[in-house]
Amino acid sequence: MKVEYINPFVSASFSVLESCLGQQPTKGQLSMRPAVFTSHQCNIITGVTGMIEGQVIYGMSLITADKIASKMIGEPIRTFDQLAASAIAELANMITGNAMSHLSSAGFVCDITPPTIIRGTNVKLSTLSIPALVIPVNTEQGEIELTVSLRERK
Amino acid sequence: MAKRVLITDDALFMRVTLKNILTKNGYEVVGEACNGRESVEMYKSLMPDVVTMDITMPEMDGISAVREIKKVDANAKVIMCTAMGQKNMVMEAVQAGAKDFIIKPFQPEKVLESVQKLIG
Repeated sequence: MKVEYINPFVSASFSVLESCLGQQPTKGQLSMRPAVFTSHQCNIITGVTGMIEGQVIYGMSLITADKIASKMIGEPIRTFDQLAASAIAELANMITGNAMSHLSSAGFVCDITPPTIIRGTNVKLSTLSIPALVIPVNTEQGEIELTVSLRERK
Repeated sequence: MAKRVLITDDALFMRVTLKNILTKNGYEVVGEACNGRESVEMYKSLMPDVVTMDITMPEMDGISAVREIKKVDANAKVIMCTAMGQKNMVMEAVQAGAKDFIIKPFQPEKVLESVQKLIG
């Protein structure tokens, strides 16, 4: 897992979150994990294919997901319905998509797959055996944890 | 008569957002497609004045859909509206026949400016 894959995600998450939530987020301490693993209540998975392949998972609490969806939709949500889920998924899609533009400028041309949401407590995701870098991003709505697990295609 | 728009995006949130922006500004959203294939079918039956098109979608991606729509109507006006802003995507979309390219997340003004430029 190369560190040069990380900066595009940091800058993309900052610019997308600033645009969608109207505030400048802050970055927490980066950490490594031996493989993709998350135990958040709400996870959005986006796939990356092309010169670099792997997955990026956006994990957050249900409360944070509710608050972000409310902010994006422009009114408080009563239940986490299809529209709310779609807003959160689109947020992840926009961050990964924007990160791909940065990676493309660095010479890595990639595509993304449509996002998948996994919601519920006691969910553990363990997928690729690519070491993952974890970026915590703090917003007024709560923390979003980006688990970036990418490798150059052989 | 209001200008007619067909929205194409797999995300409900994006379809609702685009529809709000357009209807508030006097456009009529005649259809909402969830993927490229649906968009091509809806284009044939609705013949809208302009189409907004996401790229990353299941079933058929947006660039393939633009190519198909152009076969149906060489004068079709399609605005790509996607999170993928890299040069190769823009080039591919333009070669397929897209008239404009909006990168998500967008401000409402950007969408209106693009639609107005194409259909007034």
